[in-house]
Amino acid sequence: MDWVNTQIEEALKSLQSGNRQDAERALETLQGVVYGFGMKVCGSHEDAQDTAQETLIRLARQLREFPDARALSVWLYKVAKTQCLMSRRKSKFAPAQMLSLDDLMPKESDLSPAETKSWQVTPEETVLRLELRSRLEDAILALPKHYRLVLILRDMEQLDTREVAEVMGISEQTTKKRLQRARVFVRNALAGYARHLNERKSKSHA
Amino acid sequence: MPDRRCKRIFAMLSDYLNAELPVKNCREVERHLKGCEPCIAYLESLKNTVEACRRYQVRKIPAPSKKVREALLLALR
Repeated sequence: MDWVNTQIEEALKSLQSGNRQDAERALETLQGVVYGFGMKVCGSHEDAQDTAQETLIRLARQLREFPDARALSVWLYKVAKTQCLMSRRKSKFAPAQMLSLDDLMPKESDLSPAETKSWQVTPEETVLRLELRSRLEDAILALPKHYRLVLILRDMEQLDTREVAEVMGISEQTTKKRLQRARVFVRNALAGYARHLNERKSKSHA
Repeated sequence: MPDRRCKRIFAMLSDYLNAELPVKNCREVERHLKGCEPCIAYLESLKNTVEACRRYQVRKIPAPSKKVREALLLALR
């Protein structure tokens, strides 16, 4: 979790320095981390703001107890995850269900290189990225919650497998399985979007 | 997926992308990918998915609430 870890490491130093200005800056950083995580998991500003508030108030009460950034990071995500699961808008979560790899397995017709290219992330495709962003958000919110949390922690927050397992309270093996299914689920949703784009392109050329 | 071997490879691709596959399985995946266009296309699409997730950022981050600031100030006293 290089990027997030660096931010959390700096924030922890500032918070523990006792300097008020540094601590307030650190608080802004951690608000970004926790609110961002809450938005990705809950998909609602109110729930994300509640998550950030509850998590950061708890953090303020035990500021000096964290030996290093890793401990703080795992603690932050653990508390934020629990807050998200208790959020007011529980209906946003898809029902808890198991995703079967057999059901998610693509058909040969889904595997054309042209379709893959059409959702490749390139800096110049800003319009596509906006659409892609919205499709990605929809796909993630459609994931059952335990798969969604693992995907967000691993691929968006960029924690490593061990850290995700620790935050989730599951084994590394289960973490990997959930991640695999979540990635395939989101990949299939984006493939559907790519097909739609290609059809739109061919119609406009006709 | 085209055949049974592809199904076996399909189940290993996520760990392969994370570089968390045992060496023996990693070699098996790489050998298979050399000759299987559908699996290459699938792996690319999975990579794109992970990359899209990595680049995703929440746009507007509000300031911490007054309650949070107060709790922090109290903790620093």
